Amino acid sequence: MKTIIIILSIFAITSVNSQAAYEKGMGKAFELWGNQKNDEAANLFERIGKAEKDNWLPFYYAAQIHIVTTFGIKDAEQIESRLTKAQNYLNEAKTFSKGNAEIMIMEAMLNTAYVVYDGAKYGMTHSAKVEELYQKAKIIEPENPRAILYHAEWQMGAAKFWGKDPKAFCPEIEKAISLFDLEKSTVPFYPSWGKDQIERIKQNCK
Amino acid sequence: MKSLLTTILLLTLAFLQAQTTISGTVTEPSGVPIPGANIYLDGTYDGSSSADDGTFSFTTTETGEQILVVSFLSFETYSLNVSVSEMKNLKIALKEDVNSLGSVILNAGTFSAGDNSKASVLTPLDIVTTAGAAGDYIGAFQTLPGTSTVAEDGRLFVRGGDANEANVYIDGLRVFQPFAATANNIPTRGRFSPFLFKGTNFSTGGYSAEYGDALSSVLLLNTIDEPEQEKTDLSFISVGLGVGNTQKWKKNSLSVNAFYLNLKPYQEIISQRVDWIKPFESLSGEAVYRHQFDKGLFKLYGGLNYTDFELIQEDINVPEGINFGLKNRNLYINASYKGDLGNDWTVATGASFANDHNTIKIVETNVDNDDNAAHLKVKLRKRFSNRFKLSFGAEQFLGNFKEEASDISFGNFQSSFKNNSTAAFSEANIFFNKKLAMQLGIRATHNALLDFTKISPRASLAYKIAEKSQISLAYGDFYQAPQQDILKYNSSLDPEKSSHYIFNYLYQNNGRTLRAEAYYKSYDRLAKFDTEMPQFGSNYNSNGDGYAAGLDLFWRDNKSIKNLEYWASYSYLDTERDYRNYPERATPNFATSHNLSVVGKYWAKDWKSLISATYNFASGRPYTDPNTINFLGEKTRTFNSLDMSWAYLISQQKILFVSVSNVLGFDNVFNYQYANTPNINGDFARRAIRPTADRFFIVGFFWTISDNKTDNQLDNL
Repeated sequence: MKTIIIILSIFAITSVNSQAAYEKGMGKAFELWGNQKNDEAANLFERIGKAEKDNWLPFYYAAQIHIVTTFGIKDAEQIESRLTKAQNYLNEAKTFSKGNAEIMIMEAMLNTAYVVYDGAKYGMTHSAKVEELYQKAKIIEPENPRAILYHAEWQMGAAKFWGKDPKAFCPEIEKAISLFDLEKSTVPFYPSWGKDQIERIKQNCK
Repeated sequence: MKSLLTTILLLTLAFLQAQTTISGTVTEPSGVPIPGANIYLDGTYDGSSSADDGTFSFTTTETGEQILVVSFLSFETYSLNVSVSEMKNLKIALKEDVNSLGSVILNAGTFSAGDNSKASVLTPLDIVTTAGAAGDYIGAFQTLPGTSTVAEDGRLFVRGGDANEANVYIDGLRVFQPFAATANNIPTRGRFSPFLFKGTNFSTGGYSAEYGDALSSVLLLNTIDEPEQEKTDLSFISVGLGVGNTQKWKKNSLSVNAFYLNLKPYQEIISQRVDWIKPFESLSGEAVYRHQFDKGLFKLYGGLNYTDFELIQEDINVPEGINFGLKNRNLYINASYKGDLGNDWTVATGASFANDHNTIKIVETNVDNDDNAAHLKVKLRKRFSNRFKLSFGAEQFLGNFKEEASDISFGNFQSSFKNNSTAAFSEANIFFNKKLAMQLGIRATHNALLDFTKISPRASLAYKIAEKSQISLAYGDFYQAPQQDILKYNSSLDPEKSSHYIFNYLYQNNGRTLRAEAYYKSYDRLAKFDTEMPQFGSNYNSNGDGYAAGLDLFWRDNKSIKNLEYWASYSYLDTERDYRNYPERATPNFATSHNLSVVGKYWAKDWKSLISATYNFASGRPYTDPNTINFLGEKTRTFNSLDMSWAYLISQQKILFVSVSNVLGFDNVFNYQYANTPNINGDFARRAIRPTADRFFIVGFFWTISDNKTDNQLDNL
């Protein structure tokens, strides 16, 4: 009996240890990211993802870092290799979590990055993908503020391109704002980003 | 007491795990340090990023044999399987990822269009928004260097080769009749609707051992793997009507489209040089079904096309003209499967089948022919590493041609032949490093009809000379059986042979591309006959030969002027050949020494319009003037054409499209036909062979209906 208790407590400690290590690691990665050490943060997310084996979140964030980084650089080779890497991370994330709206939103961002980087080459094929991914995400989670906000921004961009009024999508932004406030998750490190982009996107409504 | 013991035991367990420091340096192969690489023990939290000088150091409580992983963008992931205690002062040189954008590409002879950005010089959109192409998939390729402008034909004439020397493949399988049926001197079009394809490779020489039975060129078309969305496309054009629909469900998708073309109303308004009795009318339907398996993709394509027309062809020897009528029915089916077999093995296999039936009327002669052809193929590919890939496969071609001609003067005449051939091929793809790559291939073909077996080697080599530029070389031998019009009377000829030698220079920098290619091509064993046309009783031999040499230049710039994309192609061609009924070596009528194409596309944002212009120039075409003693000794005037198109986006899914070919109305002459007998002054009279009309107008309205309202048919124009 005692032996069993001892063995059980060893297991408990090990699992507490690994949960603690996960939270510490994720916390450290977000800290690095916050300090603009993007590549180090992405590396750490990748390491956590590889160690955890069944958690989509580290891969999701590793992808997000690479996607966001490409918006600030010009070098084609770097953009292509970062986006390829990001797609690989998202593919890993998808194997652990199927039909995940957050991953779809991130994949829509990834395809947006391709269109932004070279519209002539990727515009036709990837624009349709972006649209499809946002629509799928909204079907799964109709109240996801990121899906609503970024889909609205994407549609505003398209409206501007076609010489239409982007203001038509402003009510969507208001809807997203109220949903951001309601957002609560019990899963640690669950995506909750995007609120800080509202002001920028709202510029289209002035 | 007991609990104390337990605690001690647990604490000991925790502390017993001694720490080991892992350290080293990460560099490029040249020794330059790599900062920011990710170094970790696989399956643990222990790891670090390399510092600016490439060094790294971290501690671990793991012991014994572990896997150390080092990964970094644009480099191959490295792993080391040793004891943790040995992971000290490691010197790790990462290998460059040869798949990254900056690597050398094996591109001699090839133009790619598609998403594979590394090798692409054109985007899929380019192919269909080129003015003058008018939605013809083939049209855009005629603005690339290495092709000759043969506007009255419409097919591809590559590097001094005639149109029969170019083959078309869809998803790796042969298309037997890629072009719509037409009459002499009336340009044809590709049979396939452009929106089915996602990527294209156009090779003007030196292509892979996977392809044979073409002396000059292969055009490889790949259909879309998965359509983006469900939609309905409607097109209303001045010369016809089209409808298309795409459905997706579970792991399946189906695209169907139909097009009806009738030139009658158009030809009643715009005067034509040809006297049409029954203007061109065609009905075509296509369907593609795709099914996604866990580890593979199955595609089934089917196309059915029906064409009917009748006209009076002007002829200098027949004052009343020659009555020519044609009814063509063409069925094409293509089924392919691509799959992953595990362990880095992939398989691509499939079959294509075509049935082509013609009912031709030439004055009093009726000809009925039926051509059945099939292609079966299997190809395996093993990826040993990013740097070494091997593929091999086998294919079988089956052909069965039957023709029956009847005429009051000679009664009935039947001819038929079976043209079957078997081939095997193998190819190795070797990347020595990011700068140097090589492809070696070999192909063996056995033709049962002509009873020959031939081995053809293929090789290409590419070397990156600077960050933005590379040079490549290619060599290959190519065999092709003589054409149907000869095979139906004679099946004892040799295969025709060509050899290609190619030198290519490529410069690519941020939206600008310069491509220069010099080549030499020799021809041997070309089929010859001694009558005006191949016929029963002519004498046939394989003693023809020839050569083609030239320089192709291509310049593309998407960046210098905002919203403007343009490219320019120039080809210089020096060629002579002795084939068919030529009395001596000469430059054929279809070959022009100088060819220039300039294509520009401007996106006028305020007008919501895409305006395209294409200018084509070709130097004079050789022709024979029987008033002189020289065979093909004269040259026509130069060819000029300025084509323009304007796509106006009424809304995101409604497009108004106007296209005019030869806007400036250049008076182009392709060739001359001379009288068989001289007139009373002893001169041979002549007639110019010219376009059926100087200009061609298209006005169309394209409407796409889909749920997400972003897609449109701009990519089909």
